[in-house]
Amino acid sequence: MRFTLFIILLTSALFADGYGYSKTSKKGVAPVNNALYLKECGSCHFAYQAGLLPANAWNKMMNNLENHFDTDATLAQEDWITVSNYLNANSAEKNMDYKRSSRIVNSLRGRAIPDSISKTPYMIEKHNEIRPLLITQKEVKGIFNCMACHTTADKGIYSERDIKIPNCGRWKD
Amino acid sequence: MKIILTLIAFLTLSFASVSDEYLSSLYQQAKQENPNFSGFEAKRGEAIFTSEHMGKKGKMISCASCHGMDFTQSHQNFFTGKIIEPLSPKANPTRFSEIKTIEKWLKRNFNDVYVREGTAQEKGDVLTYILSKDKK
Repeated sequence: MRFTLFIILLTSALFADGYGYSKTSKKGVAPVNNALYLKECGSCHFAYQAGLLPANAWNKMMNNLENHFDTDATLAQEDWITVSNYLNANSAEKNMDYKRSSRIVNSLRGRAIPDSISKTPYMIEKHNEIRPLLITQKEVKGIFNCMACHTTADKGIYSERDIKIPNCGRWKD
Repeated sequence: MKIILTLIAFLTLSFASVSDEYLSSLYQQAKQENPNFSGFEAKRGEAIFTSEHMGKKGKMISCASCHGMDFTQSHQNFFTGKIIEPLSPKANPTRFSEIKTIEKWLKRNFNDVYVREGTAQEKGDVLTYILSKDKK
């Protein structure tokens, strides 16, 4: 009994404020700094920072580009190599001094490799209080559209004070 | 002077020729695929571009769903909302300026709308159609 209580206490302490007990020195996530990545991935959607997923998830995605969220996103071989190398070198577990990368990696411990950033436990938890209609409204379209609400997402900053949800306004937790 | 003129002529030619060069390689391929092939037609290209099909994402879409019908204007990706720069090379000089890029998008977009790759004739028809709108 005592042991069970201890476990419960420990677990709740660990998850007290989401996923955040590890020390991080940098805000947000490292900004994108690769021109080919920006051009190739950013032509159809927001160029998500490499530090938003661990390498194993990026590799899973890169190995299935002919079916990339039911779209053909195939690349010429030389570009595929450049983009893959970039993602691998800058993935979340190599950026643990950045708060968001560290939280994402920690939330994935013991979990299966996620199919997308929005499927990571940390992202699900961070967005679960938002009314679904605010996410599916035409100004946003879906959870994949970071810039629709996170006005500084392209700088790697996802702070609460930079959130502005269309037809809702500033977000307060 | 002669050198400058030759240079200018050469540059003009090489600028104008990326889509022409690609079209002529498609022409050779189309001829091989179909001995009765007699050249690309904007009219057929228009049908390819504007007709709706059950796309790879399970929704009825056409090329125009993402590119719009005014090629001098930018448009929005139907699914992600990302801005797509104009298709018209007149409005957007980087359009059709590199064969590798043209091929990449024709392959992807045929797969997205038609759930198969386009034939050489189809690709040539649709490119001819897009270019024809600049000539009007």
